[in-house]
Amino acid sequence: MSDLTIVLRSLRTRMFSTLVVVLLVAVSAGLLLAILSLRSAGERAFERGTGNAHLLVSRDGSPLVSVLNGLFYANPPKAPIEQAKLDELRASFPWAMFVPTAVGDSYRTFPVVATAPDFFSKFEPVFGEPWKFAEGRAFDTSFEVVIGSGVARETGLRMGAKLVLTHGSGKSREGVADEHAHEHNEYQYTVVGILAPTGSPHDRALFTDLTSCWILHAHDRFEREGTHKTVTPADLVAEDKVVTGVLLRLPSRDNAGAPPALASQYDRLRRDGSLTVAIPANEVQRLFGIVKSIDVLFLAMAAATLVSSAFAILLSMINSMSERRRQVAILRVLGASSMRIFWLVLTESTIIGLVGAALGVFVCGAVLFLSTQWLLGAHGIMIAPELDARSAVIVAMGTTLLAAIAGIVPSVLAYRTPVSRNLRPIG
Amino acid sequence: MSSDQHPALEIARLNFRYGDRGFELQLPALTLGRGEEMLLVGRSGCGKSTLLQLIAGLVDPTSGTVKVAGEDIHRLKGAARDRFRGRSVGMVFQTFNLLHGFSAIENVMVAMLMSDMPKADWQPRAEALLRTLGIERLDAPAEELSVGQQQRVAVARALACRPALVLADEPTASLDPENSANAVRVLRDACREQGAALLVVSHDPSLEAHFARRERLEKLAPSAGSEAAA
Repeated sequence: MSDLTIVLRSLRTRMFSTLVVVLLVAVSAGLLLAILSLRSAGERAFERGTGNAHLLVSRDGSPLVSVLNGLFYANPPKAPIEQAKLDELRASFPWAMFVPTAVGDSYRTFPVVATAPDFFSKFEPVFGEPWKFAEGRAFDTSFEVVIGSGVARETGLRMGAKLVLTHGSGKSREGVADEHAHEHNEYQYTVVGILAPTGSPHDRALFTDLTSCWILHAHDRFEREGTHKTVTPADLVAEDKVVTGVLLRLPSRDNAGAPPALASQYDRLRRDGSLTVAIPANEVQRLFGIVKSIDVLFLAMAAATLVSSAFAILLSMINSMSERRRQVAILRVLGASSMRIFWLVLTESTIIGLVGAALGVFVCGAVLFLSTQWLLGAHGIMIAPELDARSAVIVAMGTTLLAAIAGIVPSVLAYRTPVSRNLRPIG
Repeated sequence: MSSDQHPALEIARLNFRYGDRGFELQLPALTLGRGEEMLLVGRSGCGKSTLLQLIAGLVDPTSGTVKVAGEDIHRLKGAARDRFRGRSVGMVFQTFNLLHGFSAIENVMVAMLMSDMPKADWQPRAEALLRTLGIERLDAPAEELSVGQQQRVAVARALACRPALVLADEPTASLDPENSANAVRVLRDACREQGAALLVVSHDPSLEAHFARRERLEKLAPSAGSEAAA
């Protein structure tokens, strides 16, 4: 038997309202913690997805769209870069990496990236982390395909599996699989490699060579012209040999940081009005600059929820004052001082805050788990939010303090409870 | 004189005025010896309960002194008075006022928690008191006990800290005549066994047969419950 027993019994007597308020505090604290954890993890995850490309050239509407389409596979780019322009670009500078990509086809809504062999030898999906094959190898010839780890997991495709590609994203306008999408049934691909997870959107893509991609589209061209034939590389014309983007890397001594020539090359390429040039890392920063104001809004909303949960503590304790007054009067008769009553009630609200904050850490864990699974599943973005111990301690302390502050008014009311009136009326 | 040599209760020139209605209670003198029993009867509204609250130090008199075991309770302030009350005065109420959500034994131990009784004594004393009063289900929640059992727990709680004085406010008002007699017997026996003086206030004349010392408040305090002089 101790003062804490009295406090806990008092909470147990009002079990339902105590549980509701504790859960409210837990959800509020958990959301605040989760948003704090996700905001930095999200930024890290997007930075991770930009890989080691210094520049991305395309014909998308803006550099940001170019990065979202070219590296995060948000949508298939619409405007192609023709072979002549590609050759001009390749010859314009001694690039350390020049990897053309053509994004447009899909397999069961997963984007297919047609690219050059350098994609696996020079491009790193995550800076400093080259590709690793879980099984098999990179493609050597046409109609060989390498699949990302997410694709392997979700489609069940294994080494040697045969598949056909779908023209376009394979999604309807509503973003779901389009049953009427045109499939390139005439040409079968063979899975020759399965990539190890990278924690980037590339995990949810398939990779094949440019020539087979061009053959598929040349086939469509022949079909439109009324010619039915098996297309070979010899049938390809300049019109077929287009790409949607080029990943560029400038030579640098230490392989880290931006090389001095980046700014000048960026400016030079931007002067070509037919191209859209993006520095992927900068675009991600810009994206987060835009998102940040919304982010602050979310944080403010979570904080407001936490404050409102403190009001819930206040209201629930005030509502219980009528039954509490009798208990207070009994304790006073038994020898409890007014100050002791004050602390008993304040401890009650503080415990609600403390338990709510502790549960909030679990709520945060659940929110982070669900959101990371959803982001990985839906967008291939692997975020690794870490529950920052400092944030957790600050939020827990803040929550407990708020709960204690919310308990001041009921504590004062309990302190001032007239004993005689609450035992039996005078007279 | 040691505190044990003082009477359990000494009231002198007590005057209490209250509220807009001009309630007034004037009690020139009242003494209750150690271990003595007394029944104080009076009509409803004459100030019996108010007198008990004055004795317990729950309300302050306009003038006069109330000494419990030789200590003027109203000269003590704040927490010191509360501690003294917890130690020296036990109270039994008409509705028992047990703490809901607490077991029988916990209700008794709460009283000990509020006093300065050594913690090691709490459990054995609470168990002994309750068993003496015929309570076997020590861990049963108070609200699940019968009315008679609740009354015994309330008596045990009042005696928990070995008080010099037990005040009982209409302890039989919610009981039928048969249980009422039993309740008074339990209360008297328990106080006698613990050496506590007992002051029972009631408007029930049937209790008079149980007490050798009986007083009417209106006789002790002729102005009890009257309109105060302007």
